[in-house]
Amino acid sequence: MFKKITILFAAALFILVSNTILVASEGPGGNDRKGKYTYRKVYKACSEAGQVESATPKISPANKTMAEWKAIFEAKKFNEFGCEQHWAALSDEDVLDIYTYFYGHASDSPSPATCN
Amino acid sequence: MKNNLTNIMLLVFLSGLLLLTGCTPGQTAKTAESQTEDRSWMFHDIVDAEFVKAHMDIPMPANVMLIDSRPYKTKFIQGHIPGAVSIPFSEFDQKTNLLPQDKSALLIFYCEGETCKLSHNSARKAEALGYKNVKVYSKGYPEWVTLKGNYPSVSAEQVALMISENKALIVDSRPKQAKYDKGHVPTAVNIPDTQFDELKGKLPRDLKTPVVFYCGGLDCPLSHKSAKKAIEMGYTDVSVFSLGYPEWEKLYGGSAPAVAAKSGGVEGAIDLDRFVSILANNPESIVIVDVRDPDEFAKGSFKTAVNIPVGNLEKKINELPTDKPVVFVCTTGARSGEAFYMTKDLKNSLKEVYYVEAGITFKGDGQYEIKKPKKS
Repeated sequence: MFKKITILFAAALFILVSNTILVASEGPGGNDRKGKYTYRKVYKACSEAGQVESATPKISPANKTMAEWKAIFEAKKFNEFGCEQHWAALSDEDVLDIYTYFYGHASDSPSPATCN
Repeated sequence: MKNNLTNIMLLVFLSGLLLLTGCTPGQTAKTAESQTEDRSWMFHDIVDAEFVKAHMDIPMPANVMLIDSRPYKTKFIQGHIPGAVSIPFSEFDQKTNLLPQDKSALLIFYCEGETCKLSHNSARKAEALGYKNVKVYSKGYPEWVTLKGNYPSVSAEQVALMISENKALIVDSRPKQAKYDKGHVPTAVNIPDTQFDELKGKLPRDLKTPVVFYCGGLDCPLSHKSAKKAIEMGYTDVSVFSLGYPEWEKLYGGSAPAVAAKSGGVEGAIDLDRFVSILANNPESIVIVDVRDPDEFAKGSFKTAVNIPVGNLEKKINELPTDKPVVFVCTTGARSGEAFYMTKDLKNSLKEVYYVEAGITFKGDGQYEIKKPKKS
């Protein structure tokens, strides 16, 4: 009995880990390296326009989970970020890149973002 | 009995004499044989290296042709006397159109040294065609490359091989704006001959590193001038790609950046195997910019790396060199990737820019470990 439970637990753990890796590796399909640069560029421009105090973004990908970022970006609700005009000026490709950056470095992703 | 004793003593004396002079009956016979060796295969007009040098110039005079009779692929490509034209003996009859029209022109044939018959046979064929001033430099290429101050010329195929193996520094000796900026051999650094003294610091530190100079073809003396200067500096493996950029363009097309620092598939990412090879063989051929913070850089980085933290890169972006590929590095590819896109965005004129998309662990003293990313 104990042996069966152990096997079932191991199988469940395997499926959970596999799915997590699969979901993380699939991602939104944009360019996360470019997304990181574009995201920072938005904030720099926004700061220069006097709309935010700091040119360094306050929101990090590690602030939320992959599912949370998915919900935000699929709904295109970017008000939490501020700098609405700058977000509105971004192309769909730029938004996808930023989404890929956030999703790929979310708190529950295989490589959560650090301060760098 | 007395006669027998005298004969024996004479025999012993002669044997001793032979031993003292180091001769044996076999050797004596061999010497005699070599003296009477058949040298009739040799051409009747043999010249030495001094004669060849006295008749060479860059560009070669119109009434002089230096002809390499060795096979093209296995010999000529790898090295030949500068200014020489390749007419392998085996293809002589098909390539007579390469010979000068003027039958009084000086033709100097050479091949692979004194036992090589190819140049002699070619010279006879040229004479049979009516050429009146035909010579053979019988000591040929093996002697030429060993004479002080001489250097070989290499072909485009050899330059391409050297680039792919990252074992040589390729130097473009032409003017920067007028020529180099409009197109150059991939990975070549630009040291215009007129600025050689000012820019010679771009040459590798190791004097044994192969260095290949090139310029605008057979009529261009700049690469030869620079090659001589490099030899005077102590470089021991100097060669010239005499046919230069026009030949490269003909064979491989125009300037194609990044043959050495080629892309690794992901946009902007350098091919990791190539990067490791460059680090091992020719790190001076690229500029490595470590974009981590100064405290991280202080603990260890690549030996030739410079530190520009990604946060400061925008201010210093105009300081990035334009004559070598720039490769950004950090520990994961995150900051170096950001540096890459920043450079593409703010200084798009910089064509050869890459970053390392991999995990790098710096161990101090220039030691490192690179792990390929799982996702690419």
